[in-house]
Amino acid sequence: MRRETIQAYLFNAPLIAFAGVLILVPVVGTLVTSLQRDITFAANKFIWFDNYVRLVSDPHFWQSVWFTLLFVAVSVTLEIVLGMVFALVLNETLPGRGLLRVAVLIPWAIPIAVSARVWELIYNYNFGVLNYLFTGLGFSGSPVNWLGSSAGAFTAIVIADVWKTTPFVTIILLAGLSAVPEDVQKQAMVDGTSAFQRFFRVTLPLVKPVLVVALLFRTIDAIRIFDLVYVLTGGGPGGATTSLSLYAYRFYLSGDFGYGSAVSVVVFLLAFVLALIYVRVGRFTEAVT
Amino acid sequence: MVKQLGNLLVAIIVAVTLIGCGKGKRELTFWVGGAPDEVDYLESLINHFSDSTGIKIRVVRQPTDSDQRRQELVISLQAKQPDPDVFLMDVIWIGQFQASGWLEPFDTYLAKDSMTTEPFFQRVVDLVDVYDDSVYALPVYVDGGLLYYRTDLLNKYGFATPPKTWGKLVDYAEKVQKAERQNDPEFDGFVWEGAQYEGLVCTFLEFTASNGGGIEENGLIALDRPQNIEALRFMQDLIHRYKVSPPNTYTEMKEEEVRRTFQRGDALFERNWPYAWKLHEADDSPVKGEVGISALPHFENHESASTLGGWHIGMSKYSDVKNEAWQVIRYMLSYGTQKKLVLNLGWNPGRRDLYDDPEVLKQLPHLAKLRDVFLHAVARPNLPYYTQVSAVIQRYVNNCLAAKIDPADALRQAQKEIDRVTADYQPQE
Repeated sequence: MRRETIQAYLFNAPLIAFAGVLILVPVVGTLVTSLQRDITFAANKFIWFDNYVRLVSDPHFWQSVWFTLLFVAVSVTLEIVLGMVFALVLNETLPGRGLLRVAVLIPWAIPIAVSARVWELIYNYNFGVLNYLFTGLGFSGSPVNWLGSSAGAFTAIVIADVWKTTPFVTIILLAGLSAVPEDVQKQAMVDGTSAFQRFFRVTLPLVKPVLVVALLFRTIDAIRIFDLVYVLTGGGPGGATTSLSLYAYRFYLSGDFGYGSAVSVVVFLLAFVLALIYVRVGRFTEAVT
Repeated sequence: MVKQLGNLLVAIIVAVTLIGCGKGKRELTFWVGGAPDEVDYLESLINHFSDSTGIKIRVVRQPTDSDQRRQELVISLQAKQPDPDVFLMDVIWIGQFQASGWLEPFDTYLAKDSMTTEPFFQRVVDLVDVYDDSVYALPVYVDGGLLYYRTDLLNKYGFATPPKTWGKLVDYAEKVQKAERQNDPEFDGFVWEGAQYEGLVCTFLEFTASNGGGIEENGLIALDRPQNIEALRFMQDLIHRYKVSPPNTYTEMKEEEVRRTFQRGDALFERNWPYAWKLHEADDSPVKGEVGISALPHFENHESASTLGGWHIGMSKYSDVKNEAWQVIRYMLSYGTQKKLVLNLGWNPGRRDLYDDPEVLKQLPHLAKLRDVFLHAVARPNLPYYTQVSAVIQRYVNNCLAAKIDPADALRQAQKEIDRVTADYQPQE
């Protein structure tokens, strides 16, 4: 091997070690655990795919899968669209733009568990501000039990999540937008395009790599949603808002590490497959290089 | 220069050896959680004990949330860590902890100190602490479901005593709620824990057991029984038919939400744990002096039931200072400590003898009633995989309270799912 090649490996070694210890070991460890009957109160045993067989016939697992996927689809779509709108507005030169940019970022700076508590109080049946407004403005004679139906609880979680993470999408897209050269825009204007055409033909293709990054981050985060659900609904009513992570957590808590790991592996696979699709469809590598 | 370095090296070796020796006589760790003031008080008690015995003890503060407390314990014990040596367990964890082999039996220690479990509530010890004739934990703090009622409102509407049956409770609640809502539209007849969480299993057990049913029958989970269906239908009816319990019963009603509603003066009856008493009677409570407690009502021709809760003390199998750990446990369970805990924190003692203590009864007269309640406590299933069973019950019962499924269907499907859980967790060769 050439000396430079060896050197390159040496320089990369810390990173490889870091990634190996912190990412590969836990992932492989979880994979191995998921193939075992690993219960604190029973003897350990290698059982191949029995945990997965159990998963397939577990109706509550499927309920969690559908909830999680639906949540990802709805919340990420809303976040990307809203984030794009905010980013476009904040990219214009307006009076007080600095202040506006800071204001939009605030929700992102609040820890999820804290914002979940805040939303819990907003939705509260007896003294929540939402019911106060609703009954006060005469939309309804009696308070509404927002978290009482599956649809209501789902909507409540999506709203809380969109509020919290749209700023994140906004920052990323704003960075992308500010890198779009002004000359190209002006050129397009000279060519007599409409604002609509300029956005779809000029701006969007140029920010696409950044858009894919935002989409990737948000999707992977949303698939693993835990804290918001844990605090806001606890997975209710009737298990309708149990996310996969929350479902796995319950098994870890009760000492069934094998089954909990199997659920975690499914979360990992879902995130992995979706990430692959984005990178493929978004021609991510092509756009970057 | 070389000599100086040599001296330094010697000094370091000596220092390391000394620290190493210190490790041999290492300190004992006691994990406790709870409200901050409770942990503060416990810490001061333990420090005092530590000073008088010379045993080095470190009190490690756990979170207030019981799921998180359990998570910390499961991780340490599963990893066979020597810490914690002593810890408190919720009654429903003991089955899992014992079956996992994490708990040191108390028998030899009890025998050595010529102690027995006699001073404690025998029923409680038998239900949750004893496995194969060995004692694995003992109660520090006993809990049970109670009925709280507004004495002023019962008087105002001419009811002399709190209701003995659920039917009567509905009668009282309907009448009072209708009249009180004229002035207070948020007034509810009866508030109880119905959200999807562990507390729902407790109330479900109370309703079913007070109708001659229950979660278990002959050691097996038996949900799909007529008594249970009837009781569950009644729970649903409280919200949807009699409308004496608010619609947020099945979404938001956990202990604290229930307590706050009652304490604001917005409810006639409340099902809650004994801890609410101290708060209802606090100086800033709007209902101070107007609260009574009694055993929970029952269905016609059956008996009242109260779900057993509370915290039990245990010792880790992996502790490396077991004799010292036992001394801490003995101290926590002693008459003197238990008396301090009940007087200062309102923790209902695990020892029966304290319920006759004149000083305790003078300060906390309601304890006399609690003793009778604890004597008739019913326990949730004591299975290593109880958490899974509970999750299924929570889901179906909560769904039923939301009126999305019929009680008979709910219990039939829950039973089916639990049968599968049971099969999954049977010992394999």
